[in-house]
Amino acid sequence: MTHLNNQMKWAMSKSPWVLHFNSGACNGCDIEVVALLTPTYDVERFGILLEPSPRHADVLLVTGCVTRQCASRLIRIFEQMPEPKFVVAIGACACSGGVFSGNYTVLSGADKVIPVNMYIPGCPPKPEAIIDGVIKLLDSVKEMKPGVKN
Amino acid sequence: MSKTEDAVSIFLREKFGENIREIQALQREKVFIRVDPGVHKEVLGVLLANDEYAGISAITGLDLGNSIELLYHVRSRGKIITIRTTVPKDQPRIGTITDICTGADFHEREVADLLGVTFSGHPSPGRFLLPDTWPDDIIPLRKDAKVSDIVEVPEKNIVAEQAAPASNGERMINVTIGPQHPALIEPEKFSLSVDGEIVKKVVPRLGYVHRGIEKATEQRTYLQNIYLVERICGICNACHASAFCQAVEAIGQTSIPSRAAYLRTIIQELNRLQSHMLLLGHFGYEIGFESLFQYIWRDREPLMNIMEMLTGNRVMASFVTIGGVRRDLKAELIPKIKKDLAYLQKRMVFYRNMFENDGTLALRVKNVGVISKLDAIKLCVVGPVARSSGISMDVRKDEPYAAYAEIPFKIVTYTEGDSWARLMVRVDEITESINIINYALDNLPSGSYRVKVPRTVPVGEAISRVEAPRGELFYYVKSNGSVYPERVKMRTPTFANILAFARIAEGGNIADVPASFASLDPCFSCTDR
Repeated sequence: MTHLNNQMKWAMSKSPWVLHFNSGACNGCDIEVVALLTPTYDVERFGILLEPSPRHADVLLVTGCVTRQCASRLIRIFEQMPEPKFVVAIGACACSGGVFSGNYTVLSGADKVIPVNMYIPGCPPKPEAIIDGVIKLLDSVKEMKPGVKN
Repeated sequence: MSKTEDAVSIFLREKFGENIREIQALQREKVFIRVDPGVHKEVLGVLLANDEYAGISAITGLDLGNSIELLYHVRSRGKIITIRTTVPKDQPRIGTITDICTGADFHEREVADLLGVTFSGHPSPGRFLLPDTWPDDIIPLRKDAKVSDIVEVPEKNIVAEQAAPASNGERMINVTIGPQHPALIEPEKFSLSVDGEIVKKVVPRLGYVHRGIEKATEQRTYLQNIYLVERICGICNACHASAFCQAVEAIGQTSIPSRAAYLRTIIQELNRLQSHMLLLGHFGYEIGFESLFQYIWRDREPLMNIMEMLTGNRVMASFVTIGGVRRDLKAELIPKIKKDLAYLQKRMVFYRNMFENDGTLALRVKNVGVISKLDAIKLCVVGPVARSSGISMDVRKDEPYAAYAEIPFKIVTYTEGDSWARLMVRVDEITESINIINYALDNLPSGSYRVKVPRTVPVGEAISRVEAPRGELFYYVKSNGSVYPERVKMRTPTFANILAFARIAEGGNIADVPASFASLDPCFSCTDR
């Protein structure tokens, strides 16, 4: 993780722009990620904004088990994101491949191809769990820990 | 086999005589007809000509050891007629049927990709679900392909993924949508050739979400497979589980208690409700009407709470099992479910009025992405897409399963065939679904909700269909008498509908692509499996 000065830390933890990438998920986690943006969960109250372009994003939310065909694209998206950047693996598949682990087109987990800062398990994790994970990530940014694993 | 000689069988026997090798009826309304490889096309042609609304449901490939068996499942008059033919494994070659049935295009490409069968004369062969760099000598669905053989597939050269510039001398530019694109929640690539504002050609590249589930089912027991097939798609998970369990129950000749049938109906209708709400909201997002998206998703949350109360999880139900359902519905939940549904019913009046009368919305959806009735039949589309083009097709009526035979409901059809009609079908189906759930709750039979079934399933094969939110979901299960299935084939509704996307985008405005695409309700995790 690159060095952050205090202003950067403050800006980053108050207004993280997130990019969602589905790397071969079943849509279960994806609809829960979308549900976060809607009035019931409303993550915009934490300054979290869904951002369509990797070049403007701070946090990459990866769902899905990372299929072989998606892997190179996932690496490319990660490389396009500006520093400092963080990766959150959402759901059992993104953490370890989940139920698809060992299938012939599956690489089993986002950390096989890119570094992951935060793992949120669950099939799919409840929106509350995803919020909890992202907030923990933001707290860790404030304290400049090298990244926490839960 | 005399009872199997129904109208279709007699008709085919008269027409083809000795060329029909065998006619079997393993289940009600399902006929299996064995023919020689050359004859399959003629028989299919006759079947398709015999019924105006007939279409190809799926093509299943089976590895029998020395040969490969191809099953062409034709949907005709509410029945599934399966044409069975065999090709040798060392020379798996058969004539294409795309010239008599456009809708068979992707079905054939899938079998070619995963089972190594060559369909001679196919207009666009090539890699379909597997990555471009996949080695030719590993054919995943063949029985001799060991998963351990498939270790390292070289990473694809990223530059090669770029769309090639148009070289035809015209003023065309290539626009690539995907794999990561704000209009697609899921990764998939569409290369559009655009002349000015008009889309001339669409080339889809599927397979980004291909997880090899059909192969994985062969390495898991029937019970484990329920949880695997649920994870084909998080949105219609209960429909996948129901279709799979229905097929296994048909092989084992298990009949489920009527309370279980009603509970399955309730969970599938809840799936349909949340799926349709999701699409209507997502559609608002695609056309830049973000408050519609926020409104509808807010009203969708009570449904997720009902799912959680009923099944213990918001999304993955894990509710349906072989022999019934896994949990009972507690009586004290019923008033709460009814209250939430009544609220949704009230909101739907508002949404329906808006979808029907809002002028701005109409400009984006009316006469956009029209699929004519003829095209819909030719492309073999299913579900709300077919119903919006005036085809009255619904598995719940055609071949009632669970408790649908006892519950009154209407099939919603529109005749316009445009994006607006596709949305209105869903808006009206939400009301129908609420009525179905209310009826099922009022008439819920008492008694057990599950029967015990043996772990092994007798030798046999079965087809099962359910009406998932996006249309006819087709399962074929073959059992070899052990606890592991021999073959599980699923043809998802979105796989049948994706071919229609090229048709509606071509000739349209590029700005309409996301909206008309979303109106088909695509789901790539279902499409690719």
